[in-house]
Amino acid sequence: MSHKETDNSTKKDNATTSRRNFLKKIGIAGAAALMSDNASADVSAGSSNPDAEITASEWLQGHFVLMSDEEKKNAIGRLEKRYTAQYGKKTTVSDAPPLEGVLFGYALDISKCIGCRRCVHACVKENNQSRYNPVIQWIQVMKIPRGNFAFSAEKLNEGFPKSSAMGDYGVQVGGNAYAPVGGLSVEHADSYYPADEKVPDKNFFYVPVQCQQCEKPPCVKACPVRATFRDPNGVVLIDYNWCIGCRMCQLACPYQARHFNWGEPNLPAEEMNPKTHYFGNRPRMRGVMEKCTFCLQRTREGRNPACLEACPVGARKFGNLLDPDSDVRKILATKKVFRFKDEMSTYPKFFYYIG
Amino acid sequence: MKLQSAPVTIIIALALLAVVAGGLALVGGLDIRKEKNPGDNELAKAAATAQPVTNCFESRETYSAVARTENVVPQYGYPNVKCSNTTSGVLWYGDPFDGTIPMGEMPKVADETQGDFVNAVVKPREPRLTYFNMGPDGCATCHNGTIVPFPKDKTPRLIGMHQDIVANSLQLMHGRGALWCLDCHSATNRNRLLDRRGNEITFNQPQRLCGSCHGEKYIDWREGIHGKRIGEWKTGGKKRWWVCTECHNPHTVQTIRFQPINPEPPPPLPRGMKIADYVRGDQSAH
Repeated sequence: MSHKETDNSTKKDNATTSRRNFLKKIGIAGAAALMSDNASADVSAGSSNPDAEITASEWLQGHFVLMSDEEKKNAIGRLEKRYTAQYGKKTTVSDAPPLEGVLFGYALDISKCIGCRRCVHACVKENNQSRYNPVIQWIQVMKIPRGNFAFSAEKLNEGFPKSSAMGDYGVQVGGNAYAPVGGLSVEHADSYYPADEKVPDKNFFYVPVQCQQCEKPPCVKACPVRATFRDPNGVVLIDYNWCIGCRMCQLACPYQARHFNWGEPNLPAEEMNPKTHYFGNRPRMRGVMEKCTFCLQRTREGRNPACLEACPVGARKFGNLLDPDSDVRKILATKKVFRFKDEMSTYPKFFYYIG
Repeated sequence: MKLQSAPVTIIIALALLAVVAGGLALVGGLDIRKEKNPGDNELAKAAATAQPVTNCFESRETYSAVARTENVVPQYGYPNVKCSNTTSGVLWYGDPFDGTIPMGEMPKVADETQGDFVNAVVKPREPRLTYFNMGPDGCATCHNGTIVPFPKDKTPRLIGMHQDIVANSLQLMHGRGALWCLDCHSATNRNRLLDRRGNEITFNQPQRLCGSCHGEKYIDWREGIHGKRIGEWKTGGKKRWWVCTECHNPHTVQTIRFQPINPEPPPPLPRGMKIADYVRGDQSAH
């Protein structure tokens, strides 16, 4: 009896401690199966999926931040090899480290923005988003009528609790009770204004919204696996390989800045940008989140983000918030500045100003 | 019989049609992952695979034209610019310094608004001016004192030429009636502009002329607050600056402050959304 019990418990222990190993074995077995499949496929269809071992080791790789240099090198090598084969051009995946003494900040002049959406499409050209089915764009431009608050001033004296069929429970009806808040529902904002109307319309102003790179990012708090994190330069990043696609961060974000790859991304090879960064614009897979990274692959090498370079009116400014001579700091010092949804206490490093 | 057969055939045909249509509907209904906005996807697909646009413009159409050149950055196979397929606006710079020259000497100002001009480059304006490029000597090809005599004084008068630039020289749409051609253009050297102190200024440095009146904006521009610049974000880094006339038309600012343009195409509506302005369309609680 006692012997049997001990036997059972040791068995159980073994089962729990070796779950990870067990999964590893399954992974390797699966990879082996893939490899054999591939070997036959390679003969007929060239190297569409060049290395099945890549897939196995990629499945088992850890969080990129916690990897050793050796593991990072291997991971980068795997990706470069695969992307180069997949898109038919020499692709580099950088793992350039964060810069010293830099806190990135962004400023956008809403009095200059004309709503031309060039930033949106520049971002798509730079960052290898899925072009169709699903269409993923990291910036959305809100067109907002001038002179409206999120509630109606005429309705301020309406909407007191009234008795209803349910009884006198003080159900609030009318007034501003149904005026939308939350989400991006700034009243009457329209992010889908058509391409055949002229911009700017003088009765509207235009507010581009992208990831605000919060100091207190709700998405980072929501992520159950810490796949998304804030890097030392203040940019919120995602390890796409570590992301499990639960979309909690998407729900947590008040700016609709996070986008989910519902299907296999469709990125034409000739449109693909071969200069990538591991946390930045490398092509994503199905079922992971993605978002603006302030063009990590550019800014860590000193260049401006693509949306800034595309803006035809110079409404966008980017720089180091710790450098008092940077454009952004001068704007913060001299212009009227606000942050979008300040009341959410997310402390964005994306500032809107009136120049 | 003949009279009856026609309606019978029609009924049979209709029944067949109904069966076929029903079958199609069934197939369509079973495919639950079918995209709701196929039109948008088709458009995006077409735009993504279309031939690249080669004649583009930066800020102002016809005033800041730029041609796409392939493989300017061989390491990544980048062209100098990528442009929009719908508006031909420049969207993306492979090489931000393509076709630029150093900004040139900028005057020091006594206060703290020293600009970050060490590594400043600009795109020269002279190659983009229509009349300037009509002869070997620029504007002086005609305005050399013999073909077109120099004006005797600066008194405003009606001119018979260049009406595509300024329709009526007595009503210049800049300065609200206080300015005339020769307040900015040199009377004797048409290849140069002239500031209020009589200094000759090239067309590549219009900021030195504009700044002599628009001091507030000029200070903002020198500081890096007003205007566009691309390249490196670091203070002291290499940057391409946009000069005044790349965005503003000095001859029409008073009437046309900004020429409205067409935006790039919008994203497709989210699945299930019928109209974009849902807030106005749906007044019920949500």
